[in-house]
Amino acid sequence: MVLEGLYGKYAPMVYRRCYSMLKDDAEAQDMVQEVFLRIYERMDSLDLSQPSSLLWNTATRLCLNRIRDKHRHGVDVDSSELLLTIACADDEQESYEAKNILAKLFSREPESSRTIAMLHYVDGMTLEETAREVNLSVSGVRKRLRGLQAKLKNLEVK
Amino acid sequence: MIPDWKLERYLTGDLPDGEMREIREMEATDEIFAGRVKMMREDNRAILKKMPFERLSERLDAMPTRFGNGLKGAGSNGAGNGVSFTLVKFATAAALVLAVVTVALFSQREVVSPATDGGAQVMDVAMVDASESPDGAGDTRIKGLEARIEVWKKTADSAVQMSNLDEAREGDEIQLRYLVPEKCFGMLFSMDGNGTVTMHMADDNKAIALEPGKMTTLPFAYKLDNAPKFETFYLFTSTKGFSINVDDIDALFKNKDVRQEHVTLRKVGGK
Repeated sequence: MVLEGLYGKYAPMVYRRCYSMLKDDAEAQDMVQEVFLRIYERMDSLDLSQPSSLLWNTATRLCLNRIRDKHRHGVDVDSSELLLTIACADDEQESYEAKNILAKLFSREPESSRTIAMLHYVDGMTLEETAREVNLSVSGVRKRLRGLQAKLKNLEVK
Repeated sequence: MIPDWKLERYLTGDLPDGEMREIREMEATDEIFAGRVKMMREDNRAILKKMPFERLSERLDAMPTRFGNGLKGAGSNGAGNGVSFTLVKFATAAALVLAVVTVALFSQREVVSPATDGGAQVMDVAMVDASESPDGAGDTRIKGLEARIEVWKKTADSAVQMSNLDEAREGDEIQLRYLVPEKCFGMLFSMDGNGTVTMHMADDNKAIALEPGKMTTLPFAYKLDNAPKFETFYLFTSTKGFSINVDDIDALFKNKDVRQEHVTLRKVGGK
């Protein structure tokens, strides 16, 4: 089974990613399941040629959403200031994409600017590595980061 | 220093050949790095032991019920079943169309996120997707819509919505959802048979600003303790900011500017 194979190979990576962002074992385990359920739901429309990128970025996006939701609801979030700032950033690109529900369900999702910011600012990927990771050009990544940066005054595009 | 993300790719063999070779050489020559890699490989085994694929399988088995079409079991053996994917996709599309039409007809402004399926039979999907609903609801009140609180109880592979005065037990895992028809301030808390108040959504004792038009699921669940008799979940809303004094909750009930919705669960099987 494709999914079982993916899980066996990548679940530890996804777990560590979730745990590093959520700082909670139970939440991280729950999030790992969510990530693989997402993949399962869209498996026949997703590009699985780079499963590590797909899973890493999906985990990143879902964890950012979880952190943002907790923060919005007044729950204490054990996150660095940078992570919290990125999680709560107003991402117009994401909001725009979210409106196109059917397209979002059945086609490849462009990565959100928040995810791109995580890869670059928190994971320390270079612009080139980030671009490769999200299938954008370097200038595309730079543009997305600048768009987000306007709202995050303390971040600078390296 | 190899960053974590790159080390992860090294462990899964997903780096370009040149980088794989470089890091392999480092593993062979750098004892400290080799120790780090060894620890991560051991961690991999421990993680898979702690959360085996079978646990995910259980949720996959239950997944078709998310779409409310009685397809339970269609995807029971995980991925690779083209028929079940097609059915699930079709069901999703159908449910979405139905949800969108329903929403358009009855609320005009309620936003349905991709997996919440309008009726939201399973809230664990909503836990993720509620956050992805588009923002930008305006200041206007949504005609015909009232503030609403929903209480869901997690079951082994799904969740059921609880009605007022339904039975609940110690240990039941509860998930709360709410919807408000206009921009307002609100807080969610519960009170049990011991008179203990538990805040679920507030800024300390102050109401927080709520956005209208979308059913929002709190990003965490709440486990019922052994308090006797009942647990009542309250959603208080007001167009003005307000706060609660847990030593004088009556004051909040008497505040004419504040509306309240509630769901009470009867505690059974406890002390």
